[in-house]
Amino acid sequence: MDQLIEQLKKEIIEVLNLEDITPADIDSNAALFGDGLGLDSIDALELIVLMEKNYGIKLQDANQGRDIFKSIQTMAEYISKHRTI
Amino acid sequence: MNSKPIYINGLGSISIQQPLSFEGIQQPLSYQTPHVRCVEPNYKDFFDAVQARRLSKIIKRAIVTAKQAVDDSGISMPDAIVTGTGLGCVEDTEKFLDAMIRNEEKFLQPTFFIQSTHNTISSQIAIHMNCKGYNNTYIHRGVSFENALLDAYLLFQRGTIRTALVTGNDEMTPNYFILLGRIGYWKQAIQNTRTCITQEQSKGSFAGEGSVSIMFSDTPSSKSYACLNRMSLLYKPVKPMQQIIREFVADCGLNIDDIDVCMTGMNADTENDAVYNSVLQDLFSPNEIGTYKHICGEYYTSLSYGMLLSAYCIQQGIVPAHCILGGVEKSGVKHILLYNHFRNRDHSLMLLSTC
Repeated sequence: MDQLIEQLKKEIIEVLNLEDITPADIDSNAALFGDGLGLDSIDALELIVLMEKNYGIKLQDANQGRDIFKSIQTMAEYISKHRTI
Repeated sequence: MNSKPIYINGLGSISIQQPLSFEGIQQPLSYQTPHVRCVEPNYKDFFDAVQARRLSKIIKRAIVTAKQAVDDSGISMPDAIVTGTGLGCVEDTEKFLDAMIRNEEKFLQPTFFIQSTHNTISSQIAIHMNCKGYNNTYIHRGVSFENALLDAYLLFQRGTIRTALVTGNDEMTPNYFILLGRIGYWKQAIQNTRTCITQEQSKGSFAGEGSVSIMFSDTPSSKSYACLNRMSLLYKPVKPMQQIIREFVADCGLNIDDIDVCMTGMNADTENDAVYNSVLQDLFSPNEIGTYKHICGEYYTSLSYGMLLSAYCIQQGIVPAHCILGGVEKSGVKHILLYNHFRNRDHSLMLLSTC
């Protein structure tokens, strides 16, 4: 899981163009939206694309996103259970 | 038609010269390559990390130059923002299209898509300035800036607006440079961009890029650089350009002899510059013909840099020797006629004068 979390942090930094932020700066349990990293709805779309492209996960229910994208930790847990790539 | 002059009260630029300064007009950097990218300021001084991450380079440049021009003018908020861009945010357009091809039209990233639209530049300037006024974008390749300026100029003439921020923004990506190179836009090699117009006449020019913002107002201020007396855009003119220029100058209440410098879009490309030479040879001597593309390079909205340079020179009263075809500094400058053409099809005339 730790390896997946580290990889996920690197991918998020790249896809969201988070300049000056390193994986070590991101708390795995901190909120991705609102406080924490301060992501917004466009970022949510980027994360959905990332999950599909890198892990073969297609989210069917938009309401699922609320729980999956709570934090890096929740994302990693969901990916490890549902990944197809 | 009697036209009201409008005043240039603020300037801002990021180009292949020192950013956010007029140093490049006095002492331009020279390059030995036909593809020159902008010298960037430190954007961390202007944007925090959260803001910056969704702004491509061209948008950062546009916002920063807009801020510089607005601050320079002392006007807190323009009534209108009008942008000219030949290519828009082409770097992000390329990223979006590349990803589309690479991923077989799946997994399209929204940020690149949002930023690949041309009017993103003008709208992002407005968002960052919180300007809710008129906002428009003109995309007409080599006459994009001219049309943006014409829009603002006509709004001033109608009295619809009292201030306007007019900008010209383009970036030259390696891909687009290669594509234009295939149709002979660029020289294969260049010895010295600073002297190329007089010493390296051959097929093709050298590519630059840049963002220029100009703040106009219907009233002069103590900081005014120059006034735009009149402008005219022509598509495939029927009458000879010499006659059109004489009539244009006469409509401004001046004679040809009153024009201190005719600032042209000469770019060291033989075919392009031959048009200027044939039109201007009977009107102006080489010591009255000016150039600016040796400073900013060739790109679709490079006229915006020509206007910035001319306005600055009028304020200073001097056109430096390296900007004069004959190589002699021109002092006591009161009137500069900007004459540009795009492929000898679209021509533009603009008269800048002291306030």
